[in-house]
Amino acid sequence: MGLFSSIKDKVVGTPKPLLTEAHIKSALSVVMDPDLHQDIVTLGFVRAIAINGSSVSLEVNLTTPACPVKEQLKSQVEDILKALPGVSDVTVTMTATTRAPQVSAAAATNPSLQHVKNIIAVASGKGGVGKSTTAVNLAFALAKAGSKVGLLDADVYGPSVPRMVRITKPAHDAGPNVIVPPESHGVKVLSAGMFSQPGEATILRGPMAGNVVKQFLTQVQWGELDYLIIDYPPGTGDIQLTISQTAPVTGAVIVTTPQEVSLIDVRKAISMFKTLKVPVLGVIETMSYFVCDGCDKKHEIFRSGGGERLAREYGVAFLGGIPLDPRVVVGGDEGSVQVQSLPDSPAAKAYSGAAGAVAQQLSILNSVDSGALNQFVLEWKH
Amino acid sequence: MSYIRVKDISQVDERTLGVLWTDGRKNKIDVVDLRRRCPCAVCIDEWTRAQRLKPEDIAESVRPVKIESVGSYALKVQFSDGHSTGIYTFQMLREAFH
Repeated sequence: MGLFSSIKDKVVGTPKPLLTEAHIKSALSVVMDPDLHQDIVTLGFVRAIAINGSSVSLEVNLTTPACPVKEQLKSQVEDILKALPGVSDVTVTMTATTRAPQVSAAAATNPSLQHVKNIIAVASGKGGVGKSTTAVNLAFALAKAGSKVGLLDADVYGPSVPRMVRITKPAHDAGPNVIVPPESHGVKVLSAGMFSQPGEATILRGPMAGNVVKQFLTQVQWGELDYLIIDYPPGTGDIQLTISQTAPVTGAVIVTTPQEVSLIDVRKAISMFKTLKVPVLGVIETMSYFVCDGCDKKHEIFRSGGGERLAREYGVAFLGGIPLDPRVVVGGDEGSVQVQSLPDSPAAKAYSGAAGAVAQQLSILNSVDSGALNQFVLEWKH
Repeated sequence: MSYIRVKDISQVDERTLGVLWTDGRKNKIDVVDLRRRCPCAVCIDEWTRAQRLKPEDIAESVRPVKIESVGSYALKVQFSDGHSTGIYTFQMLREAFH
């Protein structure tokens, strides 16, 4: 018997399990996406499986290049593949296709925003909380992760974005009443401040200011974007309403400083989005703490925990706390964006983390197919 | 958390608008009634909320010309009598017309 089996082994060889695509998929079906609560095979993330002898290569296509658990998923997939019998060589490529909200074909009534997948409002009830700094850093962090990003500064009266970013590619006309926005390191940027002289005030009544913003959303060729970030002016007035009526805003990011006085106004901003049926993606707290360069102690200058408390109060995500860093201020004044110029600083890391969290919340939101029409027009037949 | 929005909107017959909501509810809205209940500042006093529009002043023959979405929360209607300033929120449509 023993002799027989050893002869048989010599004749036909040890029966090797045949490596197939189905085999690989079933092995990977234990890898869960922590946000979408489904495995990566069911979600259709596993693509381009190629088996060549004992080497396997495949692609994992996530919902955003800014996915915070990207590396974790990659090593999990690699470990599982390497443990399969008959596999010696593994190549896993991480890619991403940003999902848009589920939209019906009847949609697209506004060609300017037709190819914009997600529109993110960055808002606070109060001025001076670091809203523009946050909007700029979120935009650059998402772009750095590989997304196509646009940044619209909707603060007509106090535009600060032109100072904060340096334009590397100028704007140009694309036909009558259509402009292609200028770019800063790949991010398409537009601001009312680009149309006035520095130091010159924009003096406009509400309806005119609204028209300016409306033009930015209807006469600008934003092109194909994964994310369009809109830096809202502070408050809950005319311009905020106009934006929310003109653009189908996917979700809002609320910016606050930790102290109660800031939170009072921020609650009003949240209530505005509730009225306008724009989902709140979460809260970012700025000026959370200051790390002393002399003693390395964290100083919580504006109290602590306000942002987290607010997020809990409304049942939304806390997207991150950003430390105070004098270099952020200097960078803002000089046109260098922290996530790009000082990527290893604590503030830049916090912004990148927050950007990942925003992208994550959008992916979760967009994974639910409500079948809602994003925009619609119905012509009545007589 | 997503809000209830329009899943489908269509003309049911010559004076009825049909709305299917994302929660599965269906509304059939009489378009003349829709015009008579216009919520705009001309038709409803902004301070007292009293209706200024006299429903009997609106002809039975009024029809929409075009119905369009407003942001993610409302729709506006351009009517055949030239009136187009009313923004009908989804919430109002669900509460007032069923």
